[in-house]
Amino acid sequence: MRRVLISLSIGLLGLVIGVASSLWTAGLTRWGATFHLTNINIVGWTSDWSIGSSSANAYVRARVARHGLLALEKEEAVYFTRNTDDLGRPLSEACTYRLTGQEQDAYWWSITLYDEESRLPMNSDGALSIDATTIGEAETWTAAIAAVKPEDSASWISSKNAGAFDLTLRIYRPSAAVLESPEVGIKPPSVRRVSCVEEVAS
Amino acid sequence: MRRALLNFAIFVVLAVIGHLTVLYAAPGVIMGAAMDRMEGLGLPLHAFAQSPRTTPETQTVVRPSPDLAYSICRFDFTQIDGPLEIQAGVWRDYSSISFFDSRTNNFATVPVLAGDEAEPTTRLVLYPPGRSNREEVQSRSDYLRAPSKRGLVLIRRLAPTAEAYAHVERLAERDRCHPITD
Repeated sequence: MRRVLISLSIGLLGLVIGVASSLWTAGLTRWGATFHLTNINIVGWTSDWSIGSSSANAYVRARVARHGLLALEKEEAVYFTRNTDDLGRPLSEACTYRLTGQEQDAYWWSITLYDEESRLPMNSDGALSIDATTIGEAETWTAAIAAVKPEDSASWISSKNAGAFDLTLRIYRPSAAVLESPEVGIKPPSVRRVSCVEEVAS
Repeated sequence: MRRALLNFAIFVVLAVIGHLTVLYAAPGVIMGAAMDRMEGLGLPLHAFAQSPRTTPETQTVVRPSPDLAYSICRFDFTQIDGPLEIQAGVWRDYSSISFFDSRTNNFATVPVLAGDEAEPTTRLVLYPPGRSNREEVQSRSDYLRAPSKRGLVLIRRLAPTAEAYAHVERLAERDRCHPITD
């Protein structure tokens, strides 16, 4: 009887560890791996070309369901995320960043800021993203990411109440060249940390 | 020794079962929960509903784009006996109609070319899974077959400003998602 109980306990432990490891690796918990896809990595911007398609493996599928539900197949849109600056430091509401980029070879693009829960941060700044229509027709552009709009920035994404955040670059109707060779076709925006404060006033 | 090996095998087998069960069930469970939440918010079955302009307060799914206007139609082929007709009004900027099955697969996306709003609506027909007339469905690009009985149809339109969103809201009144009856 004692041996059976030990076997049952070991089996139950295995089941718990199996479930927990799945929740963790698939990013299904608040503390698990975030929406970080590594199939394609272009200077810190990561993506996976199988997003939205039936060819996606079980881990990609679970992560997309948790962090990017209703994502489109790559022929219609591709999605890149990053949660670090150019030097690999985690993005934080406590810091100000300068975002610099170029036009993308696509119909339309945007960059949106999300908090750790993959939600838009709870603020009323009306500055949740920048996109091809707001940047204008300049070949290169810059924008600020900060909790308070810097006086010298026309384009701004508010990180107020975002805590540790990430950025999503959406590229809609990417060109065939982008799909075939993203390392060449995608022009990855740079995220440079300008300054940080010790604590952000609540 | 044999006992220890048996216990190790039990541990590994149940760990793998637990891991794979959660992994493969997650998309369906998450999609089901999202669709239930939409139903709870009053989104009708077999009809498009225009979502409020995306803000931190109105977001209902993860990672919504604040620059896009969304029209959503929930479909459930267990409730109807026949295909669905989908129509979308033409928008002057980016627009697409995408279809998602109950496991989050984007099984079809139809680009809607930008154009004048007076142009005829884009029309598609969505058939339930596993029915007859397979050849007819396969031969026409405007005929689609759903891989699951439940799912979502989503129209995305680029509307990054309040003015553009208000315009889309009026245009979306022309969107249709309704059962075809003989």
